[in-house]
Amino acid sequence: MKSGRCLVVCCVFLILTLQVKSQNSANGYLDAVYGKLEKVKDYSVQANIKVDMPFIRMIPVNVKIYFKQKGKFKVESKSIAIVPRQGFDQLSGILADIRMYTAVVQGEEKIGEIQTTMVNVIPLSDTSDIILGKFWIDPVQKLILRSQLTTKSNGTIGTDYAYGSQTSFGLPDAMIFSVDVKKFRIPKVMTSSITAEDKEKSKKSTEKKKGKITIILSNYKVNTGLPDRVFEK
Amino acid sequence: MLWKNTYNELIKIAAKPRSYIGIGAITLIVAIILFAMKIDGLNFIAFVTRPFEQSLSFEGNILNGNLIAFLVLQMLIIHVPLLIALVTGDLVSGEATMGTVRLLLTKPVSRTSILVSKYLAGCAYTFVMLLWLMFMALIIGKMLFGTGDLMVLNVDGLTILDEKDVFWRFACGFGLAYLSLVMIATLSLTFSCFSDNSIGPIVSTMAVIILFTIISNLDVPVLQKVQPFLFTNYIVSWRNFFDDPVSVHAILKSTGVLGIHIVGLFSVALYKFNKKDILS
Repeated sequence: MKSGRCLVVCCVFLILTLQVKSQNSANGYLDAVYGKLEKVKDYSVQANIKVDMPFIRMIPVNVKIYFKQKGKFKVESKSIAIVPRQGFDQLSGILADIRMYTAVVQGEEKIGEIQTTMVNVIPLSDTSDIILGKFWIDPVQKLILRSQLTTKSNGTIGTDYAYGSQTSFGLPDAMIFSVDVKKFRIPKVMTSSITAEDKEKSKKSTEKKKGKITIILSNYKVNTGLPDRVFEK
Repeated sequence: MLWKNTYNELIKIAAKPRSYIGIGAITLIVAIILFAMKIDGLNFIAFVTRPFEQSLSFEGNILNGNLIAFLVLQMLIIHVPLLIALVTGDLVSGEATMGTVRLLLTKPVSRTSILVSKYLAGCAYTFVMLLWLMFMALIIGKMLFGTGDLMVLNVDGLTILDEKDVFWRFACGFGLAYLSLVMIATLSLTFSCFSDNSIGPIVSTMAVIILFTIISNLDVPVLQKVQPFLFTNYIVSWRNFFDDPVSVHAILKSTGVLGIHIVGLFSVALYKFNKKDILS
């Protein structure tokens, strides 16, 4: 009877210890990643955006992106460009305020040839826009290779990152976003479409589909001291 | 002689106050649309982009002159035929109403030549109307809203066209829109040959346009077999030039159907006018 009680207490202690250890190591991974990103006070970069969405047809466009700590972000474009809302600033925002989240190591997974550690992030506050964040971290290079953010306002967006010229700052050279697009239908009055082909197209367009946005980043200029007026509209 | 007659017919059109109703109406309507867009255009655009904005943000000048021109043409092109019929439906029957048709036919020219002159004058008026609409929409629109890429609103999604890739599409779209309006002018001219008063052909043209538009819009299987043959189906075919890639097949089909309608209706008008007893 006594030995049974001891066994239960030991098991509970072991579970709690493992959980705390997992949380500590998860925070360690995220801190290491943020340590690199933290070195970036501001940057500007040329981006080539290629949109492959079910309801949008457009040619790739070139834009210039500006970023400054904390949370200042601007896309400068002569053309119409489509940028994922969770693209650039939200990730560093989460990492900067990581104490506002519970982080847990979920396991390991291979992305290409690289063994990554999967870290799940759940907000401590009920009012946070983020519901769940998943990060696939390369523990050697201290880089996020893949992320999946689920938010109340923007749904789920998955992102794959590729690094090259700015690995030391943790800034990617390419990002591929996977986005869910809900059904799309423009009111008839705005299209004046009455032909049979249009009616057929309209029926086909109601399904929910997945889209992909590829952003190739080049010509980074990091920590040049961007003035605040750059971000004024 | 044909050109002289056509010139005379153009002077007659220019002398009639009703010829300016259409131009005045276009000016007023486009001015109202431009004003509304200037004040509340971004909300209008947000209505379209909202389904995407959960996860995507649109950057750049979306509400520009090209989009405004596209929207104005889209809104008005199905109403302009009614304004055109006001003038072209009066070309022959107006002479009968005023009692000048007998005098006109005493000229040493064939009836065919007279009708062709009237038709050419009607086509020229249609051209001026469409040109004015394009000027108001495209030039004034660009002056007020600037220029930029064109976001085309289709039933199945958005097509974003490069600014440099837009002008030729407007020019070709203008051509096809003109062909569809010439078809309306031909229809009203044909009705005009059958009537001795102006109201009949104008109202008949409007009635046919309204009836065919309703049939084109009804999603009833029994009517779907008829729909491809109705000219109202092709009035908005100019939009095909804004598809990416351009739907050449749809454009050729529209051109063919409208061309057949024009030739067929004008042949009927010629036959009727040549055989017509002048009793007024």
